[in-house]
Amino acid sequence: MNVTFGDRDEMSPSVTGITPLPAAQSTSDEFLLNVGPQHPATHGVLRVVVTMDGEVVKDIVPHIGYVHRGLEKLFENRTYEQIIPFTDRTDYLSAIANNFAYVMGVERLLGLEVPKKVEYMRVLMAELNRIASHLLWLAAYGLDMGAFTPFLYAFRDREEIGAMIEEASGGRLTTNYFRVGGFVHELPKEFFPRLRKFIARFGKAVNELDTLLVENAIFVARTRGVGVIGRERAVSYGMTGPCLRASNAAFDVRRDMPYSIYPSLDFEIPVGRNGDTWDRSWVRIEEMRQSLAILRQAMDGFPEGDHRTRAPRNIEPPAGEVYSAVEGPRGEIGFYIVSDGTRKPYRVKMRKPSFSNFSALPEILRGNKIADLVAVMGSLDLVVPEIDR
Amino acid sequence: MRSAEEIRDALRGRFPGIETRPVDPALSVTVQPDALREHLVFLRDELAFDFLVFMTALDRPADGAVELVYRLFSRESRTSVVVRVRLPRDGARVPTVSDIYRTAEWHERETAELFGVEFAGHPDPRRLLLPDDLEGYPLRKDFMHPNLVRLPEVT
Amino acid sequence: MGRFLYDLFYNSDLVLNGWSAAAHQSWAARGWPPVILDGLLQLAWAVAAAVFLALNALFIIWFERKVAARMQIRRGPNRVGPWGILQTLADTGKLLIKEDIIPDAADKAVFRAAPLLVLASTFMLFVVLPFGKGLVAADLNVGLVYFLAISGLSVIGILAGGWASNNKYSLMGGMRSAAQIVSYEVPAVLTVLSVALLAGSLRLGDIVRAQPSYGYILLQPVGFLLFLIASNAEINRGPFDLPEADSELVSGFLTEYSAMRFAIFFLAEYTNLFLAGAFASTLFLGGWRGPLLPPVVWFLLKSYFVVFLLIWIRWTFPRLRVDHLMELSWKVLLPLALANLLVTAVLVKVL
Repeated sequence: MNVTFGDRDEMSPSVTGITPLPAAQSTSDEFLLNVGPQHPATHGVLRVVVTMDGEVVKDIVPHIGYVHRGLEKLFENRTYEQIIPFTDRTDYLSAIANNFAYVMGVERLLGLEVPKKVEYMRVLMAELNRIASHLLWLAAYGLDMGAFTPFLYAFRDREEIGAMIEEASGGRLTTNYFRVGGFVHELPKEFFPRLRKFIARFGKAVNELDTLLVENAIFVARTRGVGVIGRERAVSYGMTGPCLRASNAAFDVRRDMPYSIYPSLDFEIPVGRNGDTWDRSWVRIEEMRQSLAILRQAMDGFPEGDHRTRAPRNIEPPAGEVYSAVEGPRGEIGFYIVSDGTRKPYRVKMRKPSFSNFSALPEILRGNKIADLVAVMGSLDLVVPEIDR
Repeated sequence: MRSAEEIRDALRGRFPGIETRPVDPALSVTVQPDALREHLVFLRDELAFDFLVFMTALDRPADGAVELVYRLFSRESRTSVVVRVRLPRDGARVPTVSDIYRTAEWHERETAELFGVEFAGHPDPRRLLLPDDLEGYPLRKDFMHPNLVRLPEVT
Repeated sequence: MGRFLYDLFYNSDLVLNGWSAAAHQSWAARGWPPVILDGLLQLAWAVAAAVFLALNALFIIWFERKVAARMQIRRGPNRVGPWGILQTLADTGKLLIKEDIIPDAADKAVFRAAPLLVLASTFMLFVVLPFGKGLVAADLNVGLVYFLAISGLSVIGILAGGWASNNKYSLMGGMRSAAQIVSYEVPAVLTVLSVALLAGSLRLGDIVRAQPSYGYILLQPVGFLLFLIASNAEINRGPFDLPEADSELVSGFLTEYSAMRFAIFFLAEYTNLFLAGAFASTLFLGGWRGPLLPPVVWFLLKSYFVVFLLIWIRWTFPRLRVDHLMELSWKVLLPLALANLLVTAVLVKVL
């Protein structure tokens, strides 16, 4: 499908998804702007066709599918253990959250209980992953806005997290660390001293990043009141995560569909007021602070025990179905697993937050200026492989 | 916090004879295709199931059916409900719910191209993920494509 | 010998006048027309300015990269040459050997001319810049007006570049840049006018002499800030670099330029950065005035100090959106500049 940049007559509706107005009605100021699939500001390979009237966006049609790898079909031909590395790669920035959701689902199908220590390890890893993902979001967002310096400050801390996770699992990004019943290896001896030092330093680092980017007057001017979506519309579009919480809807999977040890941990859910871009940014900064609190509690209450429980060597859950969800950095990550009693699942459906968040883009952006496109897309924190699977 | 039993009773009150069964903490409800919209509107407006978590399909070639699965969540009562619709594999047709839950627009587009289900009244029935020139419905169990390789059985 | 060297640095105006007088004498003695000698002297100034331009570009690009790096907790180029000082040379070499691509549908003549137009307007500003005592190519008695007029000429080159690329992104970038430069000219002019009022002259040499050695900054603090911001916007830099923003419009008007043509735009941009610093230091910081050190050194120090401020600003702030940019100019800077002018005029009359 070879599409070039051109006037509306050259781009047929089947390609752009936009039905052209009859010639008499179309105003001469409208033109189509094609953003992507290769563009520095789209976070991944996606394409957005914008109908603009001067600087104002009249309509916007997203096109996805450039990274569709047919993972759900693939999973029907893999054993339950073989699927775990694939879950890393659906959303490589929240690999651990994906692992978590999938492994939890399989354990529920098997009726397997994991030891307390495994739960604590899982929460530690998940929250570190959340901080790392939000740091990368902040870095990339600053870059989109033209602020280069927060990128390097955020990555300084992200490197530290990556090093810690690598010591524990062997991988910095796609970790493949979780297993049904626990973990591959025990946490290394140096993990906790390193984590302690990180926690001691990170509180200040978040404040630094906050002052440098999110509280900066130019950033506020560019994001306050921009890209607003109301609570009812956000819920109807299935938005989850910081994008939903910014619209004054207090929904967090850790609170509302509790799992693991989260019910026993004390943390707050930051909720924004206006549903604009600035609120989405603020929620993420606050979440980093809350994750820090969770890390501290998990580290202080860390129990003794085994890092893996006895699980069957060949995982063959009884026929049934399960839906297990976690709160990933971008929203609710869910795995709907249908088992037919064999070693390979009958169907695995992945519920990904960016899929629903992105579908709300036309609603959010209609009527805004084209200069806000970058700001809004960055604030949705999209990861395209997760949208396409 | 409403329990699955309360939801089941509320549904039975409105739609007598409705088929339900428990599916771990949630309740599973099976409805007829033409009654789908009515049920979803009731669930959304009367029982506050404002969230469509996901919508997908299961291909059941042994029964000659394609089963649609809609998972709903209520933020207010923190409960889930799964609504199922059985459709014949040939001529799978069901009304769209994209005006009831806006997120269904994309979920339906995806299910349509992967399973061959038609959603009547969908505002934008274009392909979502698949390339325009792919023929067939990939997630059906009988999908054949020269690139598809069956892995050797695990022992 | 020592006396000569001392004079060369500290009394360069006398030394140059002496040389010029001697040259004129011997020229007239041979019966050649003096206008040719004047032309040759001006050519010498132009060559000197060109050499300075090149050396300055080499230095300032390295300076920016090092300063930016240190602000970002990293080191900057440190492999090519000691402390990476030859990095710019290596980058220029790379740009020179690249393939020169001109888009098929581009307006070829205008496409070729655009970078040169921008560079020309930059280069012409060296004419009135007082590098030291008497080290001025032509100390025009309307030097200030000349400066303001020529700095607006770069708009033509940018618009030409944006138009000739035959690319929607480039066109939008070019038009935005033109709008930006024109809008920020106005507060710049008004601020500079306040300085002219204080000094009582439009000649840059007089303005420098009229200032105390630390400059007018204590008398015109608001003016200095306004001029800094306006200059920043005029050179398309820092928070005002929307026309070249690569995450928004894929380099704006620069999108289709590659190799040497891009290098010329690049060169012009960094030279403009130096000139912004140089004029800010001439008008507000006292130019080449200062104790102990030779005037040229003071001039360079002050100019590079302002350049450092501009670099600092660029790497700290995110980009302004185009409507905020316009708002800032017309709704904030312009009223402030007018107020500044009014207060200055009143105080000059009264005191």
